[in-house]
Amino acid sequence: MQDFINIGKRIPKMDAEDKVTGKAVYIQDLKVPGMLWGKILYSPHPHARILNMDTSAAERLPGVKAVLTGYNTPLIKFGFYKDNMPLKANKVCSYRDEVAAVAATDPDIAEEALGLIRVEYEILPAIFDPEDAMKEGALLIHEEHLGGKEKKPTNILNLPWRLVAGDVDEARKNSAHVAEDRFKLTWVNHCCMGTSGCVARFDLRNNLTIYSNTQIPALAQRDYTEALAAMGLEGKKARVIKTTIGGAFGSKLDTYAYEYIAILLAYKTRKPVKIIFTREEEFFATSPRQPAVIDIAQGCTKDGTFTFRDVRMVLDNGAYTSWGATTPSVMMMPISSLYKVPNVRYVAKCVYTNNTYSQAFRGYGNPQATFAIESQIDALAEMAGIDPLDFRMRNANTPGEVTPQHFNITTCGLRECIDVVAQKLDWRQNRGKRDGRGIGMASMIHVGGGARVYKSDGCGTIIKIDDFGTVNVITGATDMGQGADTVIAQIVAEELGVRVEDVIVTHTDTDICPWDVGAHASRTTFVAGNSARGASKKVKEQLLEVASRSLGENPENLDIRDRTIFSKLDPEKKSPLGKILRASHYTAGGRMVMAEHFYDPPNENLDREFKGNLSVTYAYGTHGVEVEVDKETGQVKILKYVAAHDVGRAINPMLLEGQVYGGAAMGIGYALTEQLILKNGKVINPDFRDYKILTAADVPNIEAVVIETDDPSGPFGAKGIGEPGLVPTAPAIANAIYDAVGVRIKELPITPEKVLAALKEKTK
Amino acid sequence: MKKFDYLKPHTLEEALSLLSQYGDKARLIAGGTDAIVMNKQKKISPDVLISLQGIQGLDQIESNGTFKIGALVTHRTIEQSERIKKRFPLLAEASSVLGSVQIRNVATLGGNLCTASPSAETAPSLLVYEAEVLLVSRMEERRLSLPSFFLGPGETALDKKEILKEIILPSPPPNSLGAYLKLGRRKSVDLSVVNVAVLLTLDPKTGICERARIALGAVAPTPLRAKETEKILEGNLLDERLIIRAGDWAKQECSPITDIRGSAEYRREMVAVLVAKAIKQSVKLPRK
Ligand SMILES: Cc1cc2nc3c(=O)[nH]c(=O)nc-3n(C[C@H](O)[C@H](O)[C@H](O)COP(=O)(O)OP(=O)(O)OC[C@H]3O[C@@H](n4cnc5c(N)ncnc54)[C@H](O)[C@@H]3O)c2cc1C
Repeated sequence: MQDFINIGKRIPKMDAEDKVTGKAVYIQDLKVPGMLWGKILYSPHPHARILNMDTSAAERLPGVKAVLTGYNTPLIKFGFYKDNMPLKANKVCSYRDEVAAVAATDPDIAEEALGLIRVEYEILPAIFDPEDAMKEGALLIHEEHLGGKEKKPTNILNLPWRLVAGDVDEARKNSAHVAEDRFKLTWVNHCCMGTSGCVARFDLRNNLTIYSNTQIPALAQRDYTEALAAMGLEGKKARVIKTTIGGAFGSKLDTYAYEYIAILLAYKTRKPVKIIFTREEEFFATSPRQPAVIDIAQGCTKDGTFTFRDVRMVLDNGAYTSWGATTPSVMMMPISSLYKVPNVRYVAKCVYTNNTYSQAFRGYGNPQATFAIESQIDALAEMAGIDPLDFRMRNANTPGEVTPQHFNITTCGLRECIDVVAQKLDWRQNRGKRDGRGIGMASMIHVGGGARVYKSDGCGTIIKIDDFGTVNVITGATDMGQGADTVIAQIVAEELGVRVEDVIVTHTDTDICPWDVGAHASRTTFVAGNSARGASKKVKEQLLEVASRSLGENPENLDIRDRTIFSKLDPEKKSPLGKILRASHYTAGGRMVMAEHFYDPPNENLDREFKGNLSVTYAYGTHGVEVEVDKETGQVKILKYVAAHDVGRAINPMLLEGQVYGGAAMGIGYALTEQLILKNGKVINPDFRDYKILTAADVPNIEAVVIETDDPSGPFGAKGIGEPGLVPTAPAIANAIYDAVGVRIKELPITPEKVLAALKEKTK
Repeated sequence: MKKFDYLKPHTLEEALSLLSQYGDKARLIAGGTDAIVMNKQKKISPDVLISLQGIQGLDQIESNGTFKIGALVTHRTIEQSERIKKRFPLLAEASSVLGSVQIRNVATLGGNLCTASPSAETAPSLLVYEAEVLLVSRMEERRLSLPSFFLGPGETALDKKEILKEIILPSPPPNSLGAYLKLGRRKSVDLSVVNVAVLLTLDPKTGICERARIALGAVAPTPLRAKETEKILEGNLLDERLIIRAGDWAKQECSPITDIRGSAEYRREMVAVLVAKAIKQSVKLPRK
């Protein structure tokens, strides 16, 4: 292994001190002169016609500067399906529908003004079950929405997710064992510590600046520019400035009504307008994880070799469409490529209902699909009379494989992950006792080398070096707390022979930073890392060239170490970096040392059949857990938790473990406690009292095991690790519960009530 | 949240006269961990909040003679008090599992009782200790037993012009043993799905249960004593069969509802489980 100076080091996140001392500026902290406060009025019904609106009393309230409705604002269509608008006119389709907005000189006045707006509704019947909404003759959420071959009005979206490889029906006939189950997954919220918010302002030429939490600055900029055009401001510019982001996890991968409302209010009032969500709004008016009803069948031969996997899903789309509706594109990955499965079929439908609509959430559908697959593997192994550990080993992916979805598996540490988890749990010793204690495992695959979901999967980096050898890295990447800033600094420092503290990473402003498609698909370390490394190499070449003149040595004989350029042949020939740069700046005909690099990984878009090598490399992992189930109360206690991940290389083990801990903690909540409870479309637990996110006291000790496969395409060998940590958590826990007490829970979260009911059912 | 004036009297008399002055428009506030939440949720919208924090003596624990805990004593103080841990360990235990350390640092015992949540953390333990509350107004003082203090969810016998001054705790008989159990979904910052306190006095020679006090929370409109269940235990030797019967009886004495935290059936079931568990834990019987 190479000797690294900055790579592989446990370096605390660059802004950690600012954050823990309260110095970091979040959107909550941001104030700009003359700023007004915006507040939104939501629908009190899940489905209703707006008959009449009277905003006059609100407008008359002192301090109120504007009251907007769907009737006095230009129509802006947003979301990738273009079925949403900032303020609804004519009809509301869910409790989170925005019907009016106020800008006032203080938030209390804005709130008071909302109370003065009178809206008359005609309540319409509503539909909350996607399987009901699919039926012929079901009431329509959007009457104008046409679908299917005949282009008839329907609640089913025109998103025919369908992946077929091999012959599933034939393989099923030839299987010795077939397991069939229905799994149900529900909504969970990202629970970002910082709630959503933004500040929008216009300059005198009607160019927009928006301070935002977004994790997709370049794409959001495009959305806002389109909105400006819809407002009659064609050609005007949108600048996106990110404040410190208080958590994103996918929630900020789209643009939302509140941002357009802030823009409309700012335009109307000619003042900056700030909107900040309360925690209650954060729970009911942001988009949770995509729920799903999953019908799955898997088969194997007598000796436990997979024969097929057949999955049908119905996704509750809610009333509007965001990226939740595209999660099947990622669910295809585990369905087609987790373990070697020769025949695969997957069909998913997204259906409008009067519920809330969903978004990206760490794993992007992968946790849902993996819950079904991995829970059922244990059942199938039991049918075949094979230890689930052996079953997984037998079918594990291996390097060099091409999967049914046409993924080229390059490096693959799945077997190592399974192996280490089995060892840590003392698998052979502890499994199969059914004495209230049990162990279980589950594995995962995810994109680890970017993901070509757009035409480009690229990221740009600009590097410049100043008189004192300070390295400015201007990146397209987004740091949302995961540590992109620190990892990029380590990569650049390693390549340039400087120290991490010499590197300043700027990633906050679309007027300054290069383009990037966003912080999604666990791609930032891989794509932005490779981009930064590419730029570093170019800058280094320039540095050596400049130095060659002052040191009188050929550039190829020069290198940089610890801020010093030296000759590899004659150690006496050396000079501090800063001195070389000053010489370059203070010379007639001098030059700047700076470079840009755009890295777009050599991965492929999925084709019409949803096949193609989506990522340059794939990340694998296995989680193992030991639980104790209280047979009297149904409570599940986690005694041991091991999370092994093939990460390519840990550029910063401390941050990497942080991703794994955080992912697993979220996954444990997903498995056992968290649920956004909707009753007839209304979120009835919009607070942390009744939304049971784990507290620090509830998170068990998580042992993160790093498996390094040194991926040749990754920056210094690294793969993505942002999402994997929560992908296999829920099925690992469900499998351990089965091992402990012999009940299989197929609906998340696995509450004590469900466990107890299943235990009773079993002893009947 | 509606704007309000915040008044901070220095004496009980001053506080009481402010209460009569503002009447319905005023609300008392101690730690504020319920009052401010209710205010934000618009369940209350007082014009004036009268803080009890400035009143001398309300945050004292008195153990010479009658044991008294001032209404303003925080849960943090209770869980750490050697005197309470020694003489009223179930109360110390209950306070120690309320909310989180941050909440316990400000939340008070009086506030917990006056909020009168059916799941109020400290109520079952105070019920089995047969605690009384001292209510004062400008005219009079009255002592009420807890069962007559709690009237319904969020409802107490407190008159609008009264302040809860202190909680009075009679000494339990010697040889009393007990347990407080809370069933929740999380280890902290969680309201009980069910909570149970058990206090038993055993004859040291025969092991026969001379006196039993059992209280249940979150399974009826108010925290309540399970008196029939107590009778089953009294005069008997506590064996496995009797303990299970006691749990089953307790199930009949409650009237839980289904809400977001649990179904009525589950709660009923858990009453039986927790009562049995608490009895065993009290007398240090091995758990099965
Ligand atoms: C995050 C969180 C977690 C919580 N967890 C729990 C829990 O696990 N278990 C639990 O039982 N509770 C819990 N609570 C509720 C609350 O903390 C407790 O009920 C606490 O004891 C209330 O005390 P306080 O001093 O804050 O009361 P306050 O909020 O100040 O007052 C509560 C009510 O009592 C009245 N009042 C207060 N003192 C007096 C007095 N001396 N005389 C007359 N009226 C008075 C007030 O007018 C108000 O109506 C939690 C609350 C929060 C915010």
